[in-house]
Amino acid sequence: MFEAEEINAEHKDLIHDVAYDFYGQRMATCSSDQYVKVWDQNHEGRWILTSSWKAHSGSVWKVTWAHPEFGQVLATCSFDRTAAVWEEIVGETPGPGERGSRHWVRRTNLVDSRTSVTDVKFGPKTQGLQLATCSIDGIIRIYEAPDVMNLSQWTLQHEVQCKLSCSCLSWNPSLSKSLPQMLAVGSDDSNPANGGKVFIFEYSENIRRWTKIETINTITDAVHDISFSPNLGRSFHLLAVATKDVRIISLTPIHDQASIQSGLTKLSVQTAAQFEDHASTVWRVCWNITGTILASSGDDGCVRMFKMNYINTWKPIAVLKGDGSNLSNENQKSMASSTGAPVSQTARYYKLGTISSSREVPWH
Amino acid sequence: MSAKLEIEWTQIANKFITWGSEICLYETEFLKDKTIPCMKISNNLAAFLLTTNPNYHYIKCLDIYPKSNDILLAVGQGNGKVSLVTFGPSQFDSQGLPGKEFVPRHPRQCNTVAWNRIDSNLVAVGLDKYRSDHSVLLWDIVKCPFSPDSNGALKPSVSSMTTSTEVSKPVAEFGMSDMTASLAWFNTNSKTLAVGMNLKNIRIVDFRDSVKVVTSTPTKAVFGLCMEPNLDRHLASYCDNQVCIWDVRNFEKPLVTLTYPKPTLKIGWCPTRHNLLASLQRDSSLINLYDIQQTIVGNEEVEPSILERVVIPNYSQNITSFSWHPTEENRLLSITLTGTISDYIVYDRITLNWAPNSNVVWTFGRKTMKILNENSSLYDPLKDISHKIKQRALDGYGLKEELSKNGDMVDDVLIKNAWKWLQLSGKLSDEGILRGYNSRHPGVRTVLKIDGVNVKSDTISISWADLGNSSCHSSAKIYRHEDRDKALYLCGWKFDKDNTLSKLLDRLEKEHAFSRAAAIAVFNLKIKQALEILSRGAESSFEHSNLNIVAMALAGFSDDKNSVWKQISAGTRAQIGDPYLRAMFAFLTAENYNYDAVLNEDGMLVEDRVAFACTFLSDGKLLDYLKALAMELTEEGNLDGLLLTGNNSDGMQLLQQYLDVTGDIQTTALIVVKAFPIESYTEKSKEWVTSYRNLLDVWQLWNERAHFDIMLNSYKPTEKPPQQVYVSCNFCGKSISAYMQGLNRGRGPFSRMGSTANKLKMSSCPNCRKPLPRCAICLMHMGTTMGKHINGDVDSNKLVEFSHWFTWCQSCRHGGHASHMIHWFRNHSECPVTPCSCKCFAIDSWSNEDV
Repeated sequence: MFEAEEINAEHKDLIHDVAYDFYGQRMATCSSDQYVKVWDQNHEGRWILTSSWKAHSGSVWKVTWAHPEFGQVLATCSFDRTAAVWEEIVGETPGPGERGSRHWVRRTNLVDSRTSVTDVKFGPKTQGLQLATCSIDGIIRIYEAPDVMNLSQWTLQHEVQCKLSCSCLSWNPSLSKSLPQMLAVGSDDSNPANGGKVFIFEYSENIRRWTKIETINTITDAVHDISFSPNLGRSFHLLAVATKDVRIISLTPIHDQASIQSGLTKLSVQTAAQFEDHASTVWRVCWNITGTILASSGDDGCVRMFKMNYINTWKPIAVLKGDGSNLSNENQKSMASSTGAPVSQTARYYKLGTISSSREVPWH
Repeated sequence: MSAKLEIEWTQIANKFITWGSEICLYETEFLKDKTIPCMKISNNLAAFLLTTNPNYHYIKCLDIYPKSNDILLAVGQGNGKVSLVTFGPSQFDSQGLPGKEFVPRHPRQCNTVAWNRIDSNLVAVGLDKYRSDHSVLLWDIVKCPFSPDSNGALKPSVSSMTTSTEVSKPVAEFGMSDMTASLAWFNTNSKTLAVGMNLKNIRIVDFRDSVKVVTSTPTKAVFGLCMEPNLDRHLASYCDNQVCIWDVRNFEKPLVTLTYPKPTLKIGWCPTRHNLLASLQRDSSLINLYDIQQTIVGNEEVEPSILERVVIPNYSQNITSFSWHPTEENRLLSITLTGTISDYIVYDRITLNWAPNSNVVWTFGRKTMKILNENSSLYDPLKDISHKIKQRALDGYGLKEELSKNGDMVDDVLIKNAWKWLQLSGKLSDEGILRGYNSRHPGVRTVLKIDGVNVKSDTISISWADLGNSSCHSSAKIYRHEDRDKALYLCGWKFDKDNTLSKLLDRLEKEHAFSRAAAIAVFNLKIKQALEILSRGAESSFEHSNLNIVAMALAGFSDDKNSVWKQISAGTRAQIGDPYLRAMFAFLTAENYNYDAVLNEDGMLVEDRVAFACTFLSDGKLLDYLKALAMELTEEGNLDGLLLTGNNSDGMQLLQQYLDVTGDIQTTALIVVKAFPIESYTEKSKEWVTSYRNLLDVWQLWNERAHFDIMLNSYKPTEKPPQQVYVSCNFCGKSISAYMQGLNRGRGPFSRMGSTANKLKMSSCPNCRKPLPRCAICLMHMGTTMGKHINGDVDSNKLVEFSHWFTWCQSCRHGGHASHMIHWFRNHSECPVTPCSCKCFAIDSWSNEDV
């Protein structure tokens, strides 16, 4: 058995997002209580709350760290229709050997959206300091800080219309300089008639515009989270999607004549795996550092993990209840299940007895 | 009788009631002994029936007295009567409350009953329409005036119906000849009531003075009115397939309207959360939850956002009612048509994330986070590649000069073999056996010039009889060519003199690979030697004892087509478990030199199969076989395929496939760096190297990354790493470091200085002779020695050299000897220069973290 460490998050309402920095040594949380909190790991490995501030005048949906080469920088987005960029400032040091007080200052407030901003993510650092946001009205905005030393100046570079309300976005984290930048956007539009809910956009250097290169039509239910796996030089990209189930989509660039001519990447889209283990809405998906294990959370109150055993062969490997305890029997069942994707299981926790016999109890 | 079952938590934490044709009181208990028959309502909770009350048959509505440790129910019935009900003896007995009934003047159906949340003696009753009577009656259960109505309007029919009826006058009345569908008290105001009326409007009524309608709104949604328990202004109601949420401050139109395909049965606000509404539809097994978010931007209140969720407390049956637990967070109870009750916790949405070091964090409930440490035992059985890579990087994997030693650090056979082969091919290239392939690790296909002109190999027939097998008449056909010899070298199979073969066999025997040794002996037509190996193997340990039988079988070798030996061996071959033994017999029983059974034996090592093919296959067949095998291995991403492809572009493709399959960026990057010529790097392979370096950076394995970089650069002898720091003179602007480099090489204008012990003593610009800046601590010019060593760094020469490096703050430009600076900032936070208040050391937050 293992123990999950527990932290009192000290938020007054539901926590919407938690983000690790590049090294995994700092953590930022955001909540409906409109606060953002930053946590640091001390020498014993315990997480200490180091900063907490009211960041927005509405629920803060997402928080994300910039690459450390740009400094200690966070971006947040909120229901109050804004996204903000924050930088940590080291203040007066109380005495020798002691840590200086730190505080986070708002470097910029991006107010272009007319509706709730649902996601914000920094672009891969190879392209400088870029920030993408998406909002309920279906507009994706790409901002750039032309001078990385001056975080208060951001220019809105691109506005891309998505037609459906956007709920989440993810940059392709590939380190390759030869690949054009790629963004995946998910929509929480719940009407299946509106077609695919995951869109892939690509920046074309020739026309200097973001273009939609793919719509994943196999996903027509509302999408709540989306995440590109770390690429690590693979010949294909993996995209995890949280919808009514967990999907893993593999996107393989095809280099044919047509794609070279148009200057846009053509992708071969394949559903690598589909897991209905949560048996309910899936809220979040995230990858481990090598993109070989996927973790997801769903309305069943469980965290589930899936591991790649071979290309396009994924297996459920662990189920953790929200309180940190392991659902061991569930785990075993998963382990025993055959390989080959998609493996689907339905978990039911509530086995119910009948009421009939209890009526015999007399009333007094 | 109403078949519809309703359910409601009481204010007592572990008790709930259900009602339909009778009222039942249940208590929940933790399930300790699973054998006791009970009604399980969740995984670990059971419900026990305490009492039932079958006296009321036409229950239309019910509300539980909110402020007591005993349960008191107001039960509204089909004939308009409202009765007070208790279960067994209670504190209310003394007040004579149980059994008390409140009767309207004209009998008609009672639609709703609601206790006042503050002034809890008051109960409001909503009734169906009657021409000349009010439909909202407010009763006070304590003040019970017994006198009949002053104007004598008391209906005799009512009083005669029941014996225990206490005729009383309501405290207040409202809604003459109206129909009341539902009622809801405000939580903080005991005098205001929201009333849904006539399928037409919702009115808010104030009882304070004279009964007065404060505000009203026209709507059809008049059913199931309920007030948000934590916020006294959000009101929810429904009709048919619509649910409306109202803000009483802005009552004209609903805040939100939700529509469903099916009629609504029940709605309810969650008492433990803000603005969380649950709604249930007819013939449905799911409950919809709406988290209503409101915010103010500037001065305007923006349209609320609604997060919708669906919970399914019970999969199999349709739910007829549900109830939120009054105090426990997010807990609700549901009841189905057949009376199955389930206790359900609505989990808060879990958000989670994965740190680069395998820490997983997720939220649990609203206020806690759970973190799974990277050392958690959960990860042990997973054997994920990320853990392997990190451990291998820490062990220094890939940094060893001798290629095979890198393989020794890994517990993966495939990777081990790959490194071993690279070592072998490198050695052969160095020894000059493989020459003229312009690569150190040519593959078998390269060596055989597989894509070039067809070479004709010599055929040699060796009679089995000559080899000492007297019962054989035919001969084995062997193909020889110098290219084939080279290929055999690459497979580790080229045996110049017999003793190299025996050396290999001896080694295999030592490794207890008896069957492989025997098979290789047979493939080299040394049947006698194979027999010896097998018998030695049988003696060596018990588990190999069956090798004796194999030896016996082998001893009878005869290649006569009709011989019993051949027939039996061919027949039983498939049953042999060991792939090498199987291949051995396949070889000996092969007809017409058709060795497919050997060549397609997957259990054999690739090098053995290739070597076998290079010995026994004709040119055409060999090429086809190797092509097919290379394709197969590339497809699998099997590193053994490197033997065939070598370090050319095919090999690159194989590595890509290996990476795609395993995610092992480390081995991929290392093989590329160590075995592939730098000129052959593609964009992709450069990306591998970048990715691996990035991975090491993320894990903060900076020393390992630096070692990797050093190794990387050692393969690029022409490329010098770019200089990162330039020191230029303040006065003339010429670079000082250029002179320093010249100094070290013993050339340039100052070569004379280079021989003595304090050779680096250079305190002025070599170009313009102006002095260098002074160290802020010792006030000596830079370039002088910095005096006494502090902290006994003396032991290590390198540190001493570092200690008199130039250092300066990037922001205030003050600086000095490195060791002086380190010493200063150990005790100070501000710059050592007098008027400068720069917090040089604290600016970089990471360095601060480490001190």
